[in-house]
Amino acid sequence: MTYIVSLFLLGLVLGLVAVASNPAPYFAALGLVVAAGVGCGVLVGYGGSFLSLVLFLIYLGGMLVVFAYSAALAAEPFPESWGDRSVLGYVVVYTVGVMLVAGWFWSGWYETSWVVVDEFKEFSVLRGDTSGVALMYSYGGGMLIVCAWVLLLTLFVVLELTRGLSRGALRAV
Amino acid sequence: MNPYVLTILLSSLGLGTILTFASSHWLLAWMGLEINTLAIIPIMAQQSHPRAIEATTKYFLTQATAAAMILFASTTNAWLVGEWEIHQLSHPLATTTVMLALALKLGLAPVHFWLPEVLQGLELTTGLILSTWQKLAPFALMIQVAPTINSSLLIAMGLLSTLVGGWGGLNQTQLRKILAYSSIAHLGWMVLILQYAPSLTLLSLFLYIIMTSSAFLTLKTNNSLTINTLATSWTKSPTLAALTALVLLSLGGLPPLSGFMPKWLILQELTKQGLPLSATLAAMTALLSLYFYLRLCYAMTLTIYPNTLTATAPWRLNFTLITLPLSIITILALGLLPLTPAVTTLLTL
Repeated sequence: MTYIVSLFLLGLVLGLVAVASNPAPYFAALGLVVAAGVGCGVLVGYGGSFLSLVLFLIYLGGMLVVFAYSAALAAEPFPESWGDRSVLGYVVVYTVGVMLVAGWFWSGWYETSWVVVDEFKEFSVLRGDTSGVALMYSYGGGMLIVCAWVLLLTLFVVLELTRGLSRGALRAV
Repeated sequence: MNPYVLTILLSSLGLGTILTFASSHWLLAWMGLEINTLAIIPIMAQQSHPRAIEATTKYFLTQATAAAMILFASTTNAWLVGEWEIHQLSHPLATTTVMLALALKLGLAPVHFWLPEVLQGLELTTGLILSTWQKLAPFALMIQVAPTINSSLLIAMGLLSTLVGGWGGLNQTQLRKILAYSSIAHLGWMVLILQYAPSLTLLSLFLYIIMTSSAFLTLKTNNSLTINTLATSWTKSPTLAALTALVLLSLGGLPPLSGFMPKWLILQELTKQGLPLSATLAAMTALLSLYFYLRLCYAMTLTIYPNTLTATAPWRLNFTLITLPLSIITILALGLLPLTPAVTTLLTL
């Protein structure tokens, strides 16, 4: 288990480096997918399996459509991957930076920060994340209504920003 | 824009600020700030001019960065201290990050660069919303977290803001940029006094909102965006031109006008708190701001052409703009100084 979680954490950092090093949108979307999937694995390792499932379905299901459209809009004949010089510089800088910070925190951090949720309590039917969902639907009803309103607002904002052929300053076409 | 959509956007603009006012939990406050940002974006981009779109993009990027920093700082605080309340922000890392994020949201001095650029790309009414209503929610958070913030950081930010606000506006010819720098300078005064007398911060914010609304509405009525068009605007409405000079001097903080009240009280409080150097520096940097207000006054009312005028005042038609808000707020921006004792008694935090 330790090996798998360590692998996931390494993959998370590398996936984020792959996004942040500014390659072409195809490859950046790939890096984001890797980071998201591996991040869900990390959440499982910390005991949030339901949360991880929700994140995986919603994020990779919903956002990938957006990624596909934006990658199609920004299509280019020779996309820059991580091997090209302009991107490789960022990759090296970010990797070295992450290693430096990891060396800085090497001794005291990693053992104590890995506490699986609900691990030290007595036997219980509900894990932390599922009871959190129940709390969200009972006590957090007002917040849920606000969130639903924000989603509706976002729909209107996006429609308003992208409407019209003649006035679309945001479009690439 | 469709009136239904505009209604939804404007009511969400109100909802965001009110949610932030009402929240005691960082997540809800963050949601309020995000709703605010989200709701104003189509209003900013409705002109669909490349400059407006550029300003909207800049605004979205800065506000999203600041909101992410607020979320990061509150999560860090919850991790280190175990507390999500806004009042309980106690770890120095979290308080400093939150203060910097709120400064980025408001446009305070080290992170102010987006404000003139964004304001320059917008319509005057949208700019009015941006420099009044959008300041309220971050200020509510800032007043709540003020006691735990490092005070040298606040004083440095305040002094730097008043300096940059005065200095940056000196050579501008675009009125919206001048108003943006004026906003930076006024926010500097508010942050300077934040830890010593928060009620003065609130008073100063209210008076700034009154004065800058008056300035924005005047420019909207005159339809002028540069100093050049301001110089010929007296032909449209001579009374308004005469009053605008006074409004600008009130923004500069000259004594018989309302704008003198916050500066007077803040300088007095700083002196009482044993900070004469900060008070002196703030007063000196206000002179820089006064210079460009005076230049606007000069161009608008204090000078006439050296030869015979070839134009006269145009024929007066019925005004299509609603002028009642402008007249009320101009009166407030000019004549509130005698009410100082009542205002200081009523506004206590």
